[in-house]
Amino acid sequence: MNFDPMKIPWSLLGLVIVFTIGMFIRGIVPKITARAGMRIGIRFYQPWIDLIKHFSIQTSITHGVMFYLGPVFRLTGGVSMILFMPLIYGSWYFSNFAFAGDMVLFLYMMFFGTLGMALGAGESGHPYSAIGVSRGLAQVTVAEIPLVLALLSVAAQHNTLSITEIVAAQQGGISHWTMVTNPVATMAGMLALLGSMMNSPFNVVLAPQEIPVGPPTEYHGTFLGIMNTNRSIFPVAKVVFFMNIFFGGATNWGILILKSFIIYMWPVFVGLVFPRFRVDQSIRWFLKVPMLLGILAVALI
Amino acid sequence: MIHIALAGGALLIFIGIWGMLTKKNIIRIIIGFSLFDTGLHVVLVGLGYLKNRTAPIVDADLPAKAASSQSVDPVPQAIVLTAIVIGLAVTSVLLVFALKLYQSKNTLDINKLRDNTND
Amino acid sequence: MINPIYIVAIGLGTAFSLGLLRKLGKEFSFWVTIFALGAMAFISGHWLSAFLSHQITSTVITTAGGKAPFVIVFNMGMTEALFSFMVTMGAVFSGFYLHDRLIESGPSAMAVLLAGTMGLNGIILTGDIFNLFVFMEISAIATAGLVLLVSDFKALQAGFKFMLASGIISGLLLLGIIFLYNSTGTLNISELHSKAGVILKSGGVATYLITIALLLELKPFPANGWGVDLYEGAPSGVSAFIASSSATAAFFVFLKVLPLGGDISLRIAAAAGISTFVFSNLMALSYKNTSRLLGYSSIGQLGLLVGIAGLSKHLGDKTLMIILTLLGTHYLAKAGLFWLSGIVKNPNTDEWRSLRKSPVLFAFFGVFIFALLGFPPFPSFFGKWELIMGLVATKMYWWAGAILLGTMFEGIYLFRWFSRALKLQNNDTATPAVTIYSILPVVFFGFFLFYAGYYTSTFVPALRVMCLAPLLFILLLGLLDFLPAFLKNIISLAGVTAYIVYLWPHIQGNTFKIVFAGIFLGGAILALIAGFYRRGKHMGFYPMTMLMFLGLGILVDASNLLELFYGWELMTIGSYFLLIRGERSLPHGLSYLLFSLGGSLAMLFGFALAHASSGSVDLSALNHIRIMPALAYSLMLAGFMTKTASLGLHIWLPGAHGEAVADIHFMASAILLKAGVFGIILVLGGMGNTQPYAQKILFVLGWIGALTALIGNIGAAFQESAKYLLAWSSIGQLGYIVFGLASMTHLGWLAAYGYTITHFLYKGILFLLIGGVAFRVGTADMYKMGGLIKRMPFSFFAVLIAIITLAGIPPLVGFTGKWLVYNMILSKHLFYQGVVIIISGVIAFLYLFRLIHVIFLGQLKDRNRKVKEVYVWLLIPAYLMLTAIFALSMFPDMMLARLGRMLTPSFPEGALVWDGFTASSRYGTFNLQIIMAVIGATFAAVFLWLVFANRKAQKVKQFNIFYSGEAPSRPELTHYGYNFFAHYRKAVGFMATPLVTRFWDQLSQGLHGLSSYGRAIYTGNAQSYLYHIVAFVVVVYLLSAGGIS
Repeated sequence: MNFDPMKIPWSLLGLVIVFTIGMFIRGIVPKITARAGMRIGIRFYQPWIDLIKHFSIQTSITHGVMFYLGPVFRLTGGVSMILFMPLIYGSWYFSNFAFAGDMVLFLYMMFFGTLGMALGAGESGHPYSAIGVSRGLAQVTVAEIPLVLALLSVAAQHNTLSITEIVAAQQGGISHWTMVTNPVATMAGMLALLGSMMNSPFNVVLAPQEIPVGPPTEYHGTFLGIMNTNRSIFPVAKVVFFMNIFFGGATNWGILILKSFIIYMWPVFVGLVFPRFRVDQSIRWFLKVPMLLGILAVALI
Repeated sequence: MIHIALAGGALLIFIGIWGMLTKKNIIRIIIGFSLFDTGLHVVLVGLGYLKNRTAPIVDADLPAKAASSQSVDPVPQAIVLTAIVIGLAVTSVLLVFALKLYQSKNTLDINKLRDNTND
Repeated sequence: MINPIYIVAIGLGTAFSLGLLRKLGKEFSFWVTIFALGAMAFISGHWLSAFLSHQITSTVITTAGGKAPFVIVFNMGMTEALFSFMVTMGAVFSGFYLHDRLIESGPSAMAVLLAGTMGLNGIILTGDIFNLFVFMEISAIATAGLVLLVSDFKALQAGFKFMLASGIISGLLLLGIIFLYNSTGTLNISELHSKAGVILKSGGVATYLITIALLLELKPFPANGWGVDLYEGAPSGVSAFIASSSATAAFFVFLKVLPLGGDISLRIAAAAGISTFVFSNLMALSYKNTSRLLGYSSIGQLGLLVGIAGLSKHLGDKTLMIILTLLGTHYLAKAGLFWLSGIVKNPNTDEWRSLRKSPVLFAFFGVFIFALLGFPPFPSFFGKWELIMGLVATKMYWWAGAILLGTMFEGIYLFRWFSRALKLQNNDTATPAVTIYSILPVVFFGFFLFYAGYYTSTFVPALRVMCLAPLLFILLLGLLDFLPAFLKNIISLAGVTAYIVYLWPHIQGNTFKIVFAGIFLGGAILALIAGFYRRGKHMGFYPMTMLMFLGLGILVDASNLLELFYGWELMTIGSYFLLIRGERSLPHGLSYLLFSLGGSLAMLFGFALAHASSGSVDLSALNHIRIMPALAYSLMLAGFMTKTASLGLHIWLPGAHGEAVADIHFMASAILLKAGVFGIILVLGGMGNTQPYAQKILFVLGWIGALTALIGNIGAAFQESAKYLLAWSSIGQLGYIVFGLASMTHLGWLAAYGYTITHFLYKGILFLLIGGVAFRVGTADMYKMGGLIKRMPFSFFAVLIAIITLAGIPPLVGFTGKWLVYNMILSKHLFYQGVVIIISGVIAFLYLFRLIHVIFLGQLKDRNRKVKEVYVWLLIPAYLMLTAIFALSMFPDMMLARLGRMLTPSFPEGALVWDGFTASSRYGTFNLQIIMAVIGATFAAVFLWLVFANRKAQKVKQFNIFYSGEAPSRPELTHYGYNFFAHYRKAVGFMATPLVTRFWDQLSQGLHGLSSYGRAIYTGNAQSYLYHIVAFVVVVYLLSAGGIS
């Protein structure tokens, strides 16, 4: 398949839509969690206000080149993930650049932003940043195990690594969804999703409630603005990916919004119920049930 | 006759070996060796002996032509002479060692004449 | 021709006349002695050269017109001339070496030496079995006399034991002789040979006694306590004489008489010889006394030769060649080592470190050790090769295995001795006192060993690769070692370039060879460019580097197994000397060497099976081995996997690489490990994947690869030293390659090749630059660094790119490897191994981030505020490799499509389909150019936006961070680097338990325990040794009684 310049504006449009979805979800989710905790919560448009605030802060400092590039890496990673993702099945306009790569590309693209931002945060010289990165990396190595097993299972089931083709194979009703045809893999994958959505019990990496631990500690102003932009894109990209792999994809934007919102809420609800793990605890947890489910998923193919 | 020689030689050999293996005094061990050696020589001569024949010395009584049919085999006798000389040499070297060992440790007990520094 | 009787005449005449010459002074007597020995040597040398030029044939020389035994009869043939020459030359040099002692003891000692040499010549030349007895007694008495040169207790008791033992032994011999005469009526050895039938019928006991007596002279296990004590107790010059001359003569006569006893004697010789070889070397493991070690080694080598003689029927016409090469090497090397031990004086192995103060002698020490163990280019290499080939070809597997086991034991103690001497501190030792008398014999024998190796190689038709000129070049480089490093660097670069020019026509058109030649020799160029950063002389570095690269070059150039093995061993020697250069490398270098030795012995056995099943040593012999294929392929793979440091065989690597300096680390990791990959590719290519055994091997291999990757990467995450981290990472990366190869699929091999190339590039960058950083900072401990991006921006950038490539993050070329692995896993359904591999890849992020963060990011330490950027000479090769990474990322088809074309004939199924820059497999696609364009454009857009929005950003000072309102006072307080993954260790640290290390440690302890246990029989008591001899005679007789009439 060759590169068509007309893809560019359509992909950008898709990106903007995804970004908007992400911003709304990020407004609604804190509201829901607050209500669950008997609080009132923020306004649903608060993320927009924050974003404008961050971008309008002019005076800013930098700790060096890598520090400067960190957020760039971060956002590039998130945006690229969307750009390589077929958003709407059957739509030429919103299939983006999915033809350039497949599931493997998506999996490794996830690390592009993470690693880049980790490096940027590292240059700030703040120990909390490094600690956060160290925790995050350790956790992701095991959260990946059930995910990879589940994805291999799905890929073997459909005989392809291409996301588009996997979605295609699931068309024709809910009974064709991977969720139904390969439930074990779906369970493994959904458990793996918990590990990467920065919700309790796996959110010790950022530890958002307490001291500002985690990679973004030293970032502020425009830097933080860019990173917050990414926070509205990156999780949605992941969720859309899960939707495509396990839940039949989407044939229009409405379905996409609905499905991705529901998938997004899964780690949120789990987070509301369960307290936080230490990193070594979460590692052990992933090595138990999720990994066994993953192995089972592969074994059943 | 030949059997007596052979048996005696063998006996000497065994006595010699027994002496070398059991005696603790190195002079006695050397004597054991000498007995062993002597036994060998007796066996040597005994094996070369042929019945009813004379010494292999070619002279008026034993013309050269008749030597091969009337004398015993000369080869073992020649050998034994050399072997005796060599045995003498070996024994004397052993005695030199015994002397020197005695000078250095003031004992002739074989159990005390060993090097325990092997490591 | 000069009548060889003059050898005896000169010896005896001079010995007697020395008494008359007393008045002319001891020095004069000494030179007369040497001259007389020289004249004796000249006579046999004269005969030898005549034989070699085919001017004459064997002759019988009688004296005094009589018949044996009344007069002396000499047989003179080619082998007699050769052995006589060897024996006498040994005497010449030993006599020369013993100068001081001989002068001290006076002419009588010189007479004893002359008489002894004469006796040994007699043993060799005599055609009469009784005279044999006489000459043996003469030389035994003379030996005892030489032992008396020193009069310490140790020597005395050793001499006494020796005399007693040899008295008994010659008594047995005499008894045998007379029995033999009794049954055959002759004493002439050639006549005896012609009467072999009669002997077999009626002379069983006679030949048994003779054989066993001559065997006992060669000190078979366990009746050899007196022999070991003799070697230990005698003065080193005398031990040299015993080990070289006496042993040679004794072995020769054994060889000559052995056929008399028929098959049963051969069997006795084989069993006694080989068990002596194995057990002597095993016994030696627990000793530290060098004379004793050398004694055991000598006895072992002689045992090996006896065993070979016993196995001669199986070795056919190669027997003589094998015996001569092994004996010749033993003769030269052992004499040299004994002489050196006289120079060092202190008998403790560790005290040989003082020898380093005279580098020439130390170099020869190394030469002798490596020669003894059968490394090229020494003659024993060819002997060992032919021996194992011959034995395996005639199905003598257990024998071959025992010989290899014995060699391994020998390697353990010899290499341990050498390594410790090479690395232990020697500031407190005195420089060994050398005189011309002590040094000349060593140097002469050392050089002769090289010549002998060359001479032997001219008889080996299979060795076709060019190695003489490069070896001479390396020798020259060794002689020019006094030059400054940069000059030697230039010379070496020229040498490598010349070799590339030579090699190119051989590999043109062969992608497989080009890939590896590119890594090996291209790597050599890069490593040498990096070498320009060195100051001073850097003694010993260049010859060994060149040796390693020559070995690697030969590996690529090899057209048959012998050449392959030749190159492999050369490479092992060179790389050992590179790896041991690190400050604390002693144990790691040693374990590298031992693993390499074990690996190459395993490989040798595998090659022998290949040769046995195909009848040739061509590389095609590796295809479809028929004889015990599973064993053959497993052994070869194990051999090659010692170099790829696969799980189980990896424990040498972290230390050996972790202690090496920058450019050596680069050579060792990025280049050297690929030699193992090269070998595995050859073996797997030959094995195929159709046979059931092949599938089992591949299954195991795949798991080994996967687990190696996992353990390697987890191990890397827990290292504090950057170099150890990289070393562990190499283990992991090589695991991917092994895994890819074991899949035996198009994509798997493509991935393996791709990894081989890209690992060379990105790891090359990391090794050079991290090594360079460690050099600048003065430590490799990462937590002592930090914030170095400010001081070393160029290094940081290169390391960053290397890390992104290693991690497999798009859009760089490393991603293609990950993609290929996923596709391969799907196509073969290798899910379980596959997940291990993929997760290992994710775990790699842990150590990669740690590496770059703790070194370059975080807080700059006070003591590093002034460090400079890494040497430009290290940056140049690194940036060259960086360019290559970018080029491959832009045009991955340049690499992958070409490799794919190469693989298609072997693996036609599942090839990648290239459409422009889009590669597709059955499962997925990627187009790295579009990926790069999309990512690049996004990156540029975000970056420009940030630059615009953040245009007022200004750089702040180091401590200007959010820190609860305080400013941290010291960078150490806020640099998070030590025990970076503590939580990870808590959770999965058990994976890093050094189980494998423990296994090998316990194996080693077990061996040493066994060895100490065996020491119990060597009580040092003369009487027990006599018991051993008598018991040996009886037991062997009983064991073989069934076969004797």
